[in-house]
Amino acid sequence: MDTFLQQLANGLTIGSMFALVALGYTMVYGVMRLINFAHGDMVAASAFVGLTIYTQVMGQATSLGAVIIIFLLSAVAMAIVGVILERLAYRPLREAPRLSAVVSALGASLVIQNGIMLIWGPRMRIFPELVPQVYWDLGGVVISLIQVIILVLSLVLMVTLYLFVEKTRIGAAIRASSIDQDAARLMGINVNKIIALIFIIGSSLGAVGGLFIGLYYRGITFNMGWQYGLYAFIAAIIGGIGNIPGAMLGGMLLGLFNAFIAGYVSSTWADAFTFILLILILIVRPTGILGERVAEKV
Amino acid sequence: MKELQRFGYPIFFVVMALLPHLLNSRWQAVSITFLIFAVVALSQDIILGKSGMFNMGQAMFFGMGAYITAILNAQYGWPMLATVPLAILIPALFGILLAGPIVHLRGDYLLVVTIGFNIVFVQVVQNNLGGITGGPNGIFGLDSLSLFNWPLDSQVAVYYFAFAVLLLTLWVMHNLEKSKAGRALHYLREDQLAAESIGINTRVYKIFAFGLGAGIAGLAGTVFAVQYSAVSPEAFEFIQSVLFFSIVIVGGSSIPGVLIGVFVMFVLPEIFREFATWRFFIFGFAMIAAMILRPRGIIPATFGKIPKFLIKDSNHG
Repeated sequence: MDTFLQQLANGLTIGSMFALVALGYTMVYGVMRLINFAHGDMVAASAFVGLTIYTQVMGQATSLGAVIIIFLLSAVAMAIVGVILERLAYRPLREAPRLSAVVSALGASLVIQNGIMLIWGPRMRIFPELVPQVYWDLGGVVISLIQVIILVLSLVLMVTLYLFVEKTRIGAAIRASSIDQDAARLMGINVNKIIALIFIIGSSLGAVGGLFIGLYYRGITFNMGWQYGLYAFIAAIIGGIGNIPGAMLGGMLLGLFNAFIAGYVSSTWADAFTFILLILILIVRPTGILGERVAEKV
Repeated sequence: MKELQRFGYPIFFVVMALLPHLLNSRWQAVSITFLIFAVVALSQDIILGKSGMFNMGQAMFFGMGAYITAILNAQYGWPMLATVPLAILIPALFGILLAGPIVHLRGDYLLVVTIGFNIVFVQVVQNNLGGITGGPNGIFGLDSLSLFNWPLDSQVAVYYFAFAVLLLTLWVMHNLEKSKAGRALHYLREDQLAAESIGINTRVYKIFAFGLGAGIAGLAGTVFAVQYSAVSPEAFEFIQSVLFFSIVIVGGSSIPGVLIGVFVMFVLPEIFREFATWRFFIFGFAMIAAMILRPRGIIPATFGKIPKFLIKDSNHG
């Protein structure tokens, strides 16, 4: 029972990181029907940017204010990268065959990933200890302060995003653009601005996810973006891609699944089990758990 | 395009046939690598370019062929060439069995599932399933090429073996384009619904394309095992699949386009070795620029003999 509760706590922590990153994939896919392969690498870049801000700008301060500033600056930096990425690599290909945009996204991913390597080097770096190492022992289940912060902050961000998309006028414009771009344009929505906004939101949430990955796992490498990005993308697909609550649900489910596989089976087979789960879900529900059953666009 | 076929191909074949006698051993090895990756990229073209299925796991079939050759040679003492039939058949069979349940998936979903196959494959060989894959180090010390106890252990022999495999692949692709199956694949890539409504069993042809592409990639795997006399998991990682995927799309899914793509991706880095750490950074920009400037690829594929002015600018999406 202790293993169960412990893995439940770990799974929710990992799951909320997956969910934050998955939101970036799902929002871009929802509007542009494009897998933004560069998103995972931006998540990785955020951890490195956070590291540099901590050492160079903040003078290694770990006060609450300093940590908040590190988070905000990293999120702003990634939002800017996201907007530039969309403008340079994706917008020129919006009318092109879909595979061209996929290859452009792969190219952007290689550029960012190897850009990190050229700037920060190929070796693993250790992310600073921004949050004090506090642990609570709740009857055999150990929970750290980092886990609580990750879980709470992720939930706050996700609920805020959900309310923003569902309740505000701009949110309605985002939803309209994802249903039908042309119709949205006819209704006077500036779809280009909506897409830029989506990259700003998705990239800054991904940036927070990247800093969480640094805080939780400590070791950060230039090529970790593909691994975390792929998991987050699977989370988005499991939940139903294009669907914002689906990404949150998918992230949590995948995090819990991974934690239980690691706890009860073996972590060396985690990837294999994750993909078997994905394939089974896609065979039963080809559009994910919360995805709508839409016919293929002809 | 006509000019290219009349003059380009004979020149290419003659140059490739003479090449090993003009090069030193390092560049012979580079040329063999080119031939091997060209075969894999062309096999990927059958699935992705000709049939329009977003397959991002081609390195798995390539690796499967290489591992079958390595296991049969190292564990059971088969001569390298004797492993060829199984190195084609087993990946082809896997291609058919794995494609069966997934070919109905929409483009991007198929892409992610095939990435998954690739990652599961690498994890299986890394974890040394059944104790025959050698774990993370792979299998090394394989025999060199021989034909009926007649040793063919020079690098030139390996080159001609690889060249023969490339010629065989080009012949298969040439015949495919002129066959009923090739036309069916072309139609189903252009418009699956229309293909179905004129009586093409799209499911069967999609699985056929997967089987054919997987078998050819498996054969390339044998050549890989011969050339390096070793196999290891990292040679067949998902990044390799990404490269093959990009080569086909950037090349325009035509044979000259794919060959140029393989040359740029695998031979140019050997020429500009001092930029090795910049390799993927530059390729990333090149991929974006190529797609923006030529969204249909460097040399877009054409199909059949319909005059250009009759073809509406259709979307190969």
